[in-house]
Amino acid sequence: MSRRHELRTLLRGALRPPENDSAFLLDVHRRAVPQERMARYDDSYPVDLVIVGAGAGGATLAQRLARRGWKVVVLDAGPFWDPDADWVSDEAGAHKLYWTEERVTGGTDPVELGKNNSGRGVGGSMVHYAGYCPRFHPSDFEVHTRDGVGEDWPISYSDLKSHYERLELELPVSGEYWPWGDPHRYPHTPHPIAGGADAARGGARKLGIEMKVGPVGITNGSFGNRPHCIYRGFCLQGCKVNAKASPLVTHIPDAIEHGAEIRADCMVSRVELDESSGRVTGVRYLRDGRERIQRADAVVVAGYSIETPRLLLNSTSARFPHGLANHNDQVGRCVMVQGAPQVAGRFPDEMRMYKAPPPEISSEQFYETDERRGFARGFSIQTVGPLPIEHAQHVIGHGHWGRALREYMRDYNHWYTLGILSELLPHPENRVTVTSEVTDQHGLPVARMDYSQSENDRKNIAFAKQTLHDIFEAAGAQDVLETERYAHLVGGCRMGSDPERSVVDADHRCWEVPNLFIADGSVMPTQGSANPALTIMALASRLAERLDLKRSGDSEAARRSRRSRGRRRVPTRAGGG
Amino acid sequence: MARDYRLAEHLPNLRPDRQPASPDELPRQRNGVTPQMHSRYPDYNVLDEADHWDEVTRRTVLERLEKVPEIRFFTREEAATLGAFCDVLLAQDREPKIPVLNMIDAKLFAGELDGFHFADLPDDRETWRRVAAGLDAAAVQHGSIEFAGASPEIQERVVNAFAEGELHGQVWDELPPSRAWKVVTRGALSAFYSHPWAWNEIGFGGPAYPRGYARMGVGQRESWEGAAAFERDPVKDTKRRGVQGT
Repeated sequence: MSRRHELRTLLRGALRPPENDSAFLLDVHRRAVPQERMARYDDSYPVDLVIVGAGAGGATLAQRLARRGWKVVVLDAGPFWDPDADWVSDEAGAHKLYWTEERVTGGTDPVELGKNNSGRGVGGSMVHYAGYCPRFHPSDFEVHTRDGVGEDWPISYSDLKSHYERLELELPVSGEYWPWGDPHRYPHTPHPIAGGADAARGGARKLGIEMKVGPVGITNGSFGNRPHCIYRGFCLQGCKVNAKASPLVTHIPDAIEHGAEIRADCMVSRVELDESSGRVTGVRYLRDGRERIQRADAVVVAGYSIETPRLLLNSTSARFPHGLANHNDQVGRCVMVQGAPQVAGRFPDEMRMYKAPPPEISSEQFYETDERRGFARGFSIQTVGPLPIEHAQHVIGHGHWGRALREYMRDYNHWYTLGILSELLPHPENRVTVTSEVTDQHGLPVARMDYSQSENDRKNIAFAKQTLHDIFEAAGAQDVLETERYAHLVGGCRMGSDPERSVVDADHRCWEVPNLFIADGSVMPTQGSANPALTIMALASRLAERLDLKRSGDSEAARRSRRSRGRRRVPTRAGGG
Repeated sequence: MARDYRLAEHLPNLRPDRQPASPDELPRQRNGVTPQMHSRYPDYNVLDEADHWDEVTRRTVLERLEKVPEIRFFTREEAATLGAFCDVLLAQDREPKIPVLNMIDAKLFAGELDGFHFADLPDDRETWRRVAAGLDAAAVQHGSIEFAGASPEIQERVVNAFAEGELHGQVWDELPPSRAWKVVTRGALSAFYSHPWAWNEIGFGGPAYPRGYARMGVGQRESWEGAAAFERDPVKDTKRRGVQGT
């Protein structure tokens, strides 16, 4: 695979990705995903698989298994977005892209949720992620063995490698040759970078820090019926162009074409359990104010690190009084965020950092443990390009308000901003629970997330932040502003090889429920300092392979009967591009 | 007095008192509106570009100008206190002002919250109400009857104590000020910097779909983006603009 993949990347965007026609199934003149031909299953019909959540994990899994003939229904709490009609080129107007239902956040270092890390609707948080698509490093899968901290994964980098390669073709990912981790090329050439990124790269280079362009899931050149990026800078507000990759445009169209149903605006309230057999039978959900049950042979929860534990914890029964698959009190534990302080630097010339996608260049030079730094594991450096509201939060985070805030904001065009992703370690006390004191609009108990940093975490963040100051000083910045924040969410239902210390096994199957799976970022035992999106997709892609392998062990008769039950079709609308 | 913006001497971090010079030294906005009419880009009005925006975005942005919502969530007393607070926080000391509190009120009234609240605070709606009571209580501690009617000096001192997390007694014993500060500043900044008048003031290019951006290099701008006031020669500029010099 790898040698062929190498050759393939030399051809850049000239070849279609294998077994995924999404980019060609989109309409040339509208951004919305065509839904006219989508299958509609009856609630009472037991589909092969019901997936909760149409984000990076759920959508990728649905596409893979629909292609293999599985009958799949994906439920999402939010809408089926139409980028033309629903999204705006406007910071405040993007509010509805986020999970804005109430949640409680506690601990000594509480994490602000909402717009920074939580999505809602078909496409999930990747609708409003920046677009960075780095792989994890091989070391990430054996952190405990190598560095004596965190946890080892029950799988290794080599289990995901072919899935990374395939996804990089599907998104597609553009960037320079990647020298860190497992070195590799990208299928699309690097995007041009703006003046600010160039200045920051120059500063870094003086210190011996290499920064590379990418890797971003943004087409460079048209890709199928997805056009070229127009560098408008509103990646975090939903890409109205369809240039930025999210499952909405990379996997949902192909899933629909192969018979999956994406059922939007459906809030799943619990996973249904057959008390006698201990197997799950489907999910209960709310649609248009009515309660329904979708039956299924197996259930996959892919609601991300807060909603996945919440759904399991809210699914109590006589067999599981403390929440589904939670006999060992592991559900919700070891939830993680990355430390993401930002430093902005001021330059004599105008940089106008609102132009170009926020993700321009990045460095993984500090990714691995270096004992001289005095802490385990590391961090990565990335550009962030904040728009006015975000930059104002940065200025006030530094301590300026009133006239000083206004003066700094009038100076907005002279600034450029770098951000950090620090690998913070898993801690069992960092956890998601449910609190019946606060309920959502449906009367369901909401999630509470508690988060506190360890000594290693604080040292990592402090060192990383200093590195940004050094880069800006070397780049000739006249003034700097810094602010503290977090980014991303993973963990909460981690995979492992010990049922006492994990929720799912290496095949994402809940230890305590044989036909219940988890397929989102919550299964990650550690998080590296890479953005998680690509790895969540790769995990789902691998899971699809494992599930289908398991199923092909079924008798041929069973398989035939499964196939004859459903509608089979051949993709015929592939065109354009 | 002209400033050279290639230098950074106007920036608070680099000034002895960490405060900027009076914004009254800045040029007045000549095209369109900025808050208090202070400007670095006096001839740039982002609304001149509205015809180039997609329809959904245009509606969203123009509504902020055209439909200033009435106060419906806050009581009259709360609105007086919080309106004065937002003015101090954002240095809006005279008209034209961006109606920040009205924008916040509309969101809270509609229950459009941000997706979380801190465990040691009530939800954002109740936090805002308690902050109103807390600001009045703090103003009383400084010898005033209430926050809204207090002198600018007392208002500044109270807001500064709030920013530093140094408010104590009554409301503040149950409302950690540093967390509450995050909630209210998030709301106020989101409202202020979502308004096209603020974009004029800072020279932000604004919505750019479907047109996009093409000039991304150091010191470059699109043909329609505004120039900073002191990039131009005032003598040649009057000629170019056809303005009669004296």
